[in-house]
Amino acid sequence: MLNFIARRLVNMFFLLIVVSFVGFWIIQLPPGSILDVQIQRLRMQGGNLPESMIQALRDRYGVDDPFYIQYWKWISRSLQGDFGTSFETDQKVAERIYNRLGISFGLSLTALLFTWLVAIPIGVYSATHRYTWPDYIITFVQFLGLSIPGFLLALVLLIMASRLWDQPIGGLFSPQYADAPWSLAKLWDFIRHVWIAVVVLAIGATAGLTRVMRANLLDVLNMQYIQTARAKGLKESTVIWKHAVRNAIHPLVMSLGTLLPALVVGETLIAIILSLPTIGPLYLDALRSQDMYLAGTILVMLSALLLIGNLIADLLLAWVDPRVRLE
Amino acid sequence: MTNVATGAGTATTGAQIISEDDVVRVEDLRLSFYTTLGVVRALNGVSFNIPRGKVLGVVGESGCGKSQTGLSIMQLTPGRIEGGRILFREFNTSEEIDIVKLDKNGPEMRKIRGNHISMIFQEPMTSLNPCYTVGHQIEEAILLHQTQDKAEARRRAVDILRKVGMPNPERIADSYPHQLSGGMRQRAMIAMALSCTPTLLIADEPTTALDVTTEAQILDLMRELQHEIGTSIMFITHNMGVVAQMCDEVAVMYLGRIIERAAVDDMFYDPKHPYTISLLRSIPRLGVARGQKLESIKGTVPDPYSTVPGCPFHPRCPAAIPGLCDTVMPDEVFVAGSRTHTVRCHLYT
Ligand SMILES: Nc1ncnc2c1ncn2[C@@H]1O[C@H](COP(=O)(O)OP(=O)(O)OP(=O)(O)O)[C@@H](O)[C@H]1O
Ligand code: SF4
Ligand SMILES: [Mg+2]
Repeated sequence: MLNFIARRLVNMFFLLIVVSFVGFWIIQLPPGSILDVQIQRLRMQGGNLPESMIQALRDRYGVDDPFYIQYWKWISRSLQGDFGTSFETDQKVAERIYNRLGISFGLSLTALLFTWLVAIPIGVYSATHRYTWPDYIITFVQFLGLSIPGFLLALVLLIMASRLWDQPIGGLFSPQYADAPWSLAKLWDFIRHVWIAVVVLAIGATAGLTRVMRANLLDVLNMQYIQTARAKGLKESTVIWKHAVRNAIHPLVMSLGTLLPALVVGETLIAIILSLPTIGPLYLDALRSQDMYLAGTILVMLSALLLIGNLIADLLLAWVDPRVRLE
Repeated sequence: MTNVATGAGTATTGAQIISEDDVVRVEDLRLSFYTTLGVVRALNGVSFNIPRGKVLGVVGESGCGKSQTGLSIMQLTPGRIEGGRILFREFNTSEEIDIVKLDKNGPEMRKIRGNHISMIFQEPMTSLNPCYTVGHQIEEAILLHQTQDKAEARRRAVDILRKVGMPNPERIADSYPHQLSGGMRQRAMIAMALSCTPTLLIADEPTTALDVTTEAQILDLMRELQHEIGTSIMFITHNMGVVAQMCDEVAVMYLGRIIERAAVDDMFYDPKHPYTISLLRSIPRLGVARGQKLESIKGTVPDPYSTVPGCPFHPRCPAAIPGLCDTVMPDEVFVAGSRTHTVRCHLYT
């Protein structure tokens, strides 16, 4: 098992290097050196730039160095938490990202948890009550969930929340809590602000996974070992939850790896609609304004997230299924 | 040509071998599947008994209802039991339980399953759960029926694994199914099935998927353990050679009915039913000239959605009596001069 984890970690390390390379290449991609953009901007803010200052900037960005040295400088600075300076706002990239990344991550994780907590029991129920009325109703709702676009649902819920339930909409906190220290009241205020985002984010994935869970469980229930378990005299609930679900859950665990970054990216539109300060809108802005340090860093971080998601998925899978562990 | 009616029998069961010492008596069992394509009448009045400590072979072509009969006794069939009784008597009791009357998932039925009646399946590769160790899966049954003590359950699981001839049983107990060969998995299944010393073991083609050497070993093992524990076995197979090696008595099934039932020797040396006779002819034998064609039973089994009038075998029977066999269902009768050999055919009534 330790061996297994070590191998995955080494793999992940190399993949991260590759990804960061690509990320940096993208940063470099726009025509003209980064420096030109920077100088342009400084000039526009007024004043003549002395030659010495330009030289200092050239050194700082290392534009005269070959690509691999530039990469090395960037990556070693990044590892120390300095991702460069955003051109647009002149803020440190790190500062702009961390907050939003935290919120995005929290939101996605909550949505993921929601997805699983809903998809697994409903999928199991649906499979064990096949061709009954509840199963048909669940199936119908699933197709609704799969086919309604997230932004539409977000808008509908938004309107309902404000009109019918008199709820605060937009942002993370009501003004009175924005700068207040954390308390139960603040937490409640937070939940009231973000639940729409969580539901909207999770709804598509939940519908999909419920379907997958149902189909898998139906397959597994036909397996001989389920009959063996019943023949032992086990309770039907033990047969289902202990012997069947564990074998049916593979694809769900595997989907974890891709779900995490998909959720982070998927929230963009919803975050814009609900004006939540997450990473998605920031990424979009960065791309639009060619704020390449910012965009590249976000790209690398999302990729890292994907890899971490995959690692967690692999570990979970190994825990669920001994065949993976020992191969 | 004696036609002995028993009290329990209905119109279709004429003869019944009466023994005080049966562990299970199946009477006129009927089972149907309601599918979208129509109703499949899988069992049409199956009656037989399994004597204490004996091995009853159940043979017949694919689809004749052997597995469903076994699964019905466990109440694990997906079909609907429409009628009949399954009377079960556990070790050292005189009380008979009608399994058909028990709730499928109720506590009484669950107490019987795996404890008093257990079952082994055909496919050793898939009959163990890949996610749990072999030991854990055996302990599960022991913890359920025999003892609450985990250490004791573990000890018993290792013991029974040793008994079924596993080398290094401790290590096997900690192995996952995919680490074992097919033969070892089938041994593990046997260990699991025998872990609670059941009164009856239903073995559904336990060696069909194994190679000949492994098959012989598994059969020896089952025979040995059967003697030791005294378990009765319902041994489902379509291999007559295996029947000769394993069984005390044989029942031949055709289209959801038992059409002949006898002691092994009688069945092999004096088969009565035309179907049994052709079934026995279709076994390859040593000494028969190579290249000579094996006799196969002509015709095919009718499709399961239809019902055949008269004797269900008449469309394929070489000895069919026109006007009788295609209209009247023959009753089950004793073969002349025997109290153990029954047959369901107009030639003997
Ligand atoms: N789930 C099911 N749905 C519908 N019909 C079924 C189902 N399972 C079994 N049957 C029917 O029941 C009949 C008996 O099946 P069974 O499995 O008992 O045959 P078998 O004698 O064990 O054959 P084999 O030697 O191939 O194992 C078959 O004709 C089949 O059509
Ligand atoms: S009853 Fe008639 S058709 Fe049926 S097996 Fe006997 S002889 Fe053949
Ligand atoms: Mg079968």
